[in-house]
Amino acid sequence: MNQQLAGFAPTPVTARMENHGRTMLKVAMAAGQDLYARTGSMVAYEGFVQYEPNPPAVRQIAAQWVTGEGAPIMKCSGDGLLYLADYGADVVVINLNNDSISVNGTNVLAFDAHLQWGVEKVKGLAKFAGQGLWNVEIAGTGWVALTSRGTPIVVDCGRGEDETYVDPDALVAWSPNLKVKGKRSFKASSLIGRGSGEAYQMAFSGQGIVVVQPSEDSTDRLRIRH
Amino acid sequence: MAREFQRGHKAKISDLTPGTDLYVGVQIAAPGLTFDISCFGLDANEQLSDDRYFIFFNQPKSPEESIQLLGAQSGDTESFRVTLDRIPANIHKLSFTATIDGAGQMSQIGPGYIRVVAGGEEVVRYAFTGSEFTTERAVMLGDFYLKDVWRFAAVGQGFDGGLEALLKNFGGEVAEEQPAAQQPQGAAPSFAPPAQASAPAPAFGAPAAPQAPQPAPSFGAPVAQTPAAPQNPQMHAAPTMAAPMSPPAGTVPPPAPSLYGQPPQQPQFGQVPAQAPGQMPGQAPGQMPGQVPGQMPQPGMPSPYGQQAPAAYGQQPPGMPQGGVPQGAPQGGAGLQAALQPYRETATGQRWTPQNQQLMRVDLTMGGTPVLARQGSMVMYQGKVEFSYKGAGFAGRVVGNATGQEMQLMRCSGRGQVFLAEDGAHLHSIELQGDGICVSAENVLAFDESLQHEVRRIEGHGIPGGALFTMMFQGTGTVVVKTHGIPVVLPVTPTTFADCNAVVAWSAASQVILSSQVRLRRNAYPGHSGETVNLQFRGAPGNFIVVQPYEV
Repeated sequence: MNQQLAGFAPTPVTARMENHGRTMLKVAMAAGQDLYARTGSMVAYEGFVQYEPNPPAVRQIAAQWVTGEGAPIMKCSGDGLLYLADYGADVVVINLNNDSISVNGTNVLAFDAHLQWGVEKVKGLAKFAGQGLWNVEIAGTGWVALTSRGTPIVVDCGRGEDETYVDPDALVAWSPNLKVKGKRSFKASSLIGRGSGEAYQMAFSGQGIVVVQPSEDSTDRLRIRH
Repeated sequence: MAREFQRGHKAKISDLTPGTDLYVGVQIAAPGLTFDISCFGLDANEQLSDDRYFIFFNQPKSPEESIQLLGAQSGDTESFRVTLDRIPANIHKLSFTATIDGAGQMSQIGPGYIRVVAGGEEVVRYAFTGSEFTTERAVMLGDFYLKDVWRFAAVGQGFDGGLEALLKNFGGEVAEEQPAAQQPQGAAPSFAPPAQASAPAPAFGAPAAPQAPQPAPSFGAPVAQTPAAPQNPQMHAAPTMAAPMSPPAGTVPPPAPSLYGQPPQQPQFGQVPAQAPGQMPGQAPGQMPGQVPGQMPQPGMPSPYGQQAPAAYGQQPPGMPQGGVPQGAPQGGAGLQAALQPYRETATGQRWTPQNQQLMRVDLTMGGTPVLARQGSMVMYQGKVEFSYKGAGFAGRVVGNATGQEMQLMRCSGRGQVFLAEDGAHLHSIELQGDGICVSAENVLAFDESLQHEVRRIEGHGIPGGALFTMMFQGTGTVVVKTHGIPVVLPVTPTTFADCNAVVAWSAASQVILSSQVRLRRNAYPGHSGETVNLQFRGAPGNFIVVQPYEV
C-alpha cells in the first residue's frame, strides 16, 4: 500500500510556494515569514503553524471588505509546511518580482504578508446586494497563489485598441494598470452572461494581462461554510 | 512569429512554414543529469522497422541524410536537421525523445522546449517543465508525422522505463544489460565528434540550402556505419542504452521506477500528468522528513523517494524548514509574466482554437460567419463583437418547455475573438465537412452559423423530461461539444448501447435516416433502478458514438 501511495508524498521543498498536483498548494512556513491565506483553505499542516482569523492588520487594510463575518483572510505564522486548497480548484503560483496584480477576492488563496496589498470594490459593478465584486491588489516581491476553476487563460489586453470584455464571474486577475469599467453589451431583449438579468461584462483597456477561468462559477465555496 | 504549442497541439508543417528543410532544437536540462536526445524514424505502424532510422549520438544520421544529429548549439541541448522531402516513403513518423542517462526522473527537469526553426526563424515551440512529469525517465517530446502531409505534434508523453521502454514501445529490441559496453565499442565514441563538430549551423539557416552539410565519405569511412544489418547488434549495445538500466552503485537509492512500479500496474502515476502527485521540478536541497537537518541531498538523486516511507512523517519533529524557507525563484524565472506563461493565449491562426481542455477561442474575423453559442458560455471577448438573442426556434422552445432547461442561443457576430467555456467542462471541436452529427442538446456549446441544424426529439417512456432532445448538424463548419470528463468514442456495432443520460453525440451518416438509426430500447432491465433507458445504435460501419463519464 505504501508503494502505491508513495507517489503522492510531497516533494522536497524548493521554494516558498509550490504546487502539489494541480489543486493543492504547499507553503514552506518559517518564523518571521507570515502568510495570509483564505479562511478555511487549510487542508493540512506539519510543524507548528498558528492561525489567526480576522487579524487586526487585515481589519485595517481591508476595512471595507470586512462584513459581519469578518474578512475571509487568516494570518498564518510559524514553522512548518502548510497545505492549502479550495475545493479542487486549480492553483496557480506566482512569484511576484516587483510586479503587481489585481485578483478577484474569491480567487485569492494565499500571499506573503510582507507584500503591499489593499482591497477595493470594483467600480461600476454592482452584482448582488451585499456581494459586490471585490478585488485584492497585491504588489511587491514575494509569493502569491491564486485559484482558478479549470485551467486559466492569460490574454494580453493591449493589442491594438480593441478592448477586452470579461464575464465578471469568470474573471480571475488582471494587471492593476488596466482601465476597468462595467459594460452592458447586449442589445434590447438579449441577455448574455448568466441569463439572470446581470448582463454585465467588465471592459479592460490598456497595456497588461487579464486572467480568466473557464467557468462562470464564482461562488465562494470557502465562505459558504460559515 | 513562433507559435507556442501546448501538449497535444498539432499543425501541418505547411501551415507553419513553407520550408521543408527544418532545424529541430531540444532544450532539456536538470541539475546533475545528462540526457540522451534521439529521433526515431517510425513506419506506418509506428514501429522502428529500420534501425538505421534511430538517430542518436552513436548514429548521427539516416542513410540518405534526411535526418541528421547536429549536436548542441544556439541554446539547444541537442539539435537535428530534418529534410522532410528527402525522408523515404516508408517512414511515416519522426518521434523526438529525451531519456535520462543514469538515475533521475523527469520531474527534476527545468523548463525546456522542443522547437522547429525554418530559414533561421523559429516557427513553433512546445515548452514543458518538470512539473508536467513525475517519475518518468524518458519522454516523447514531439512528433513529425505523415498524415496526407507532414505535421508536427507536441506530445509530451512520458515513459517510466526510460530508453528501454521507449525502444520496446517502438518495437525495437534491447540487448542485455552491458555496463561494460564501452570497451568493445571503442570505435563508437570517436565517431560521434565529427558530426557535432562539422554541423554548419549558419549555412543551414536557409531552408533552401539543398546540400547536405557534409560529404558522405567522411562519415562512411571511420566505422562501418553503412546501412548494414551487422551494425544493429552493435547499436543496441550502445553505452547509453545500457546505462539507464545498470543498477546504480554505492549509496544511490534504487531508481524511481522500482518503487513506483511499472506503467501497467500504475498508469495513474506515470501517464496522467493531470492527476500526478506534485512532483515539482528541481530536486534542489530541501527538507525531507527522515533526513538529518542541514544535510544536503545531492541534487539529481531521487533519494527521498527511494528511502522514505510515508510513515516517517509521524516521527518527524516539527519545525521542518531548518534554517529558513528557500525562496528560490520558480522554474521559468521569477515574476508575474513567467508565472503565467504556461497559461498564455495560444493563437494558431485558425477559426476555432482550443486554448486548453476547457476553453475554446473562436476568431470571428476568420471566415466571417457568425457563431451561435449557448447563452452564458462567453467568458471573455476582445474586439468589436455583438451579441444578440437567438432563439432556438420552435423546436428549441419545445426543448426548453419539456426539459425545463432553456436551450437559448446567442449569436456572436462582428470582428474579434470570443472565448467560450462553461463550468470547466471539457470542450471538443468537431469539424464537419459535409457529414452530419447528432449531439445531445445539453452538450452543445457553440457552432458555426453556416451549419444546418435542427432539433430532434427522441421520445421514450422513462426518459427524464419525457424525451431526449438532440441537435443534428449538417454541412461544413465546426460544432463545439462539451463533456464532463474525458469521453469515450465507440464504434457502432450491432450491439452498441448507451445510457441516454450519458450519451453525448453520435454520427449521422448522411445516407442513413436518423430515426431508423437510433432505436429506443425500453426498459432493458426491468426493475433495475437506474439504468432503465438505454439507446441502441445501429448504423453502417464507420459510425461512432461519444459517451461521457457523467450522467446528467
